[in-house]
Amino acid sequence: MNAVKLIIAAVLVAINAFFVIAEYALVRSRRARLEVMAEEGAKGARLALDQIVRDVNDAGYPPPTYAGTDPTKFASTPFAWSPNYTVPTTCTIDGSCITPGDFDIIIETNPTPQDPTSQVQWIRYQLQGTTLMRGAALKQPGNDPAIDTAAFLAPLVQNVVNNSSAAQIAQYQAAYPGMFPTGNPVPIFSYSCDTGNVPLACTAAGIDNSPANIRDVVVTLIVATALPDATTGEPRIVQLVGRGRRINPNQ
Amino acid sequence: MQIEIQGRRTHRKRRTDEGIALLISIFVLLLISVVAIALVVSSGTESALAGNYRSSTGVYYAALSGLEEARGRLLAKNPDSFTTTAPGFLPSPGTTLAIGSVAYVLNPGPTEVAANILTTYPDTEYDNEFGGGSLAGATVTTTNSVWNQTPLNGLNIPGPLYKWARINAVSEKSLNIDVDADGNPDSITPLYYDGAHFSNNPTVGPQVLEITSLAALPNGSQKLLQYLAAPVPITLPPFLGALTLSGSPANGAAFHAPASNSLYAIKGNDQDCNGSLTGLNYLAVGVFTNADKNAVINGIPPPVRASYTGFNSAPDVANITPAFPASLETPSQLDALAQTIAQSADVTIPSGPITYPLPTVTGSALTPLGMSSTNLLTVVVNGNLDISNWSNDGYGLLLVIGKFTYDPDTTWNGIILVIGQGQVDGSHAQFKEINGAMLVAKTRNSAGNLLPGSNLGGASVQFSDSMQGYGVRYSNCWIQKSQPSSNFKILSFHEISQ
Repeated sequence: MNAVKLIIAAVLVAINAFFVIAEYALVRSRRARLEVMAEEGAKGARLALDQIVRDVNDAGYPPPTYAGTDPTKFASTPFAWSPNYTVPTTCTIDGSCITPGDFDIIIETNPTPQDPTSQVQWIRYQLQGTTLMRGAALKQPGNDPAIDTAAFLAPLVQNVVNNSSAAQIAQYQAAYPGMFPTGNPVPIFSYSCDTGNVPLACTAAGIDNSPANIRDVVVTLIVATALPDATTGEPRIVQLVGRGRRINPNQ
Repeated sequence: MQIEIQGRRTHRKRRTDEGIALLISIFVLLLISVVAIALVVSSGTESALAGNYRSSTGVYYAALSGLEEARGRLLAKNPDSFTTTAPGFLPSPGTTLAIGSVAYVLNPGPTEVAANILTTYPDTEYDNEFGGGSLAGATVTTTNSVWNQTPLNGLNIPGPLYKWARINAVSEKSLNIDVDADGNPDSITPLYYDGAHFSNNPTVGPQVLEITSLAALPNGSQKLLQYLAAPVPITLPPFLGALTLSGSPANGAAFHAPASNSLYAIKGNDQDCNGSLTGLNYLAVGVFTNADKNAVINGIPPPVRASYTGFNSAPDVANITPAFPASLETPSQLDALAQTIAQSADVTIPSGPITYPLPTVTGSALTPLGMSSTNLLTVVVNGNLDISNWSNDGYGLLLVIGKFTYDPDTTWNGIILVIGQGQVDGSHAQFKEINGAMLVAKTRNSAGNLLPGSNLGGASVQFSDSMQGYGVRYSNCWIQKSQPSSNFKILSFHEISQ
């Protein structure tokens, strides 16, 4: 009799374990899918952030100090602008500039200077909808960098929600109260400009508000997964912040 | 009997309950295990993301710290300058570093050996820039980083994780540029910086130096960053005489030597830093008008006029206008120079904005600075300076914008600029001297307003008849040593792909 009970107990335990493992597998599978999506999204965003920061750090290389009369061989300015790209006449950030702006930046640099045939490029990052695009075009004197780079833009990071609608932002804030602190879209690119004294936010820099005077670029990427969190059902987003510092001379 | 039956029933029920408890326990354990495993998997993902971010940022700043240490130690005024801490590591300041001479700052970690650093972390970039085999044929010098020298190596704190920082000259070929547009990238001529562009001409300005830094983290992350940098010295006026006095036809200079002190003299005969004559002769006193020339001579007691020696026959007082830069002959121009010096001063006394009437600073304010022959400072006094009874010696460049009250109980080795009120006086005893050069210029009125127009004000140097001291001795050696420490300006920066 005891042996029968023991067998029944063992069978029950086995059945129980089977269901638990099956449940775990299901949850794990779904969670794993979400984790992979989240991880890949975050990893892709992180790689993109590193790339942007590296490009900003290298902005303006090589500077005009390198002499020569061929402007394709040196950066006239670390950050190009549009409209009316004519050095040294610039526009004002968050004013007359279309780019650089909250979701758009064009970096002027030569990413492969050791190649004797290389030349300076315009490298652009622009948010289109929820996709951060990247594109590079060879610098052409007299051209508009915004027009030239537009043809080369390709997706870099998807599901970027920095510029979400008010309703979406409210939804994100409910799940992540620390994000979107003002309830408004969060700029991907925030700029500080050199002044006669300490660097200031470009919008507060007065006459020094100019793409040529950009010193620091804070990059904030808020990326969402396609599916909500498996446990809570709330949207799953991750915010990555980096800072690029232009070290090369401004002009 | 009844008692025995109840006991059996109770016993049977307890045996049944024991099985249920076991099942429940196993079930709960399994649930807890599932939750625990899920948590471990989840936190592992988060940790990996955070670790990657920390790594990429950390290695960048580690490499940047190598660049900054090398750039900082190039400055002669840096207490850890290569000149002071590593003689022979680089040519002496002002001497060209040849193409093919490579200097490494090594920064081994606690478990690494400096001699093995370049083997463990080889420099492949040099050959990329200068051609295959260039590093093998180069003259290599090394020194340890400040983190591997006293006192930092005695501290139990980890330094930055850069492994080496390389300093070398650059050429057209190494930079892939043709600065003289001759169509022929030069591989052996170092490049120089004229203040705006690079040049092959060594006379246009200081040499351009390349600084490259490699950082490596324990997890294998590596980063290679590179600066081009060049010193940007402040251009001082040429010191054509041991003493230069500003003046113009409408604003004459005034000079009165200590009449009772026959040992006082101003000499343009150049001395080295040990006081030995070099054989070169400059003016004793330079002025800007012929009227001032006569005024200064009249201020020298006739018996000692023969002691005012220099380039010309004694008393050597001459009009320097033809040789003095036209760009420094107006009040605003000289005043701008003073402001430029002030911006790069080692010490400014008193701190804060300039106020009029000017405050008076005494010599005791200079004592804590610890000036010495190896610690020459650029000291700016935004006020009057009275060094009466201050018996220490000064080294470096002294700029006083107010009145300077001199006491011959002090030897000053270097440059003294009195630009602003342009007034010097003195009445004390003791026999010391000024070695170097002195320029006195009036550019502002007593209210602090810049003198209008292009005419310099008349400088005033009025010593009492009884003042002692030996006067001023021209010394190009001390003048050169006292040039305001220039900053090594970053001319370019970029990250090198590996």
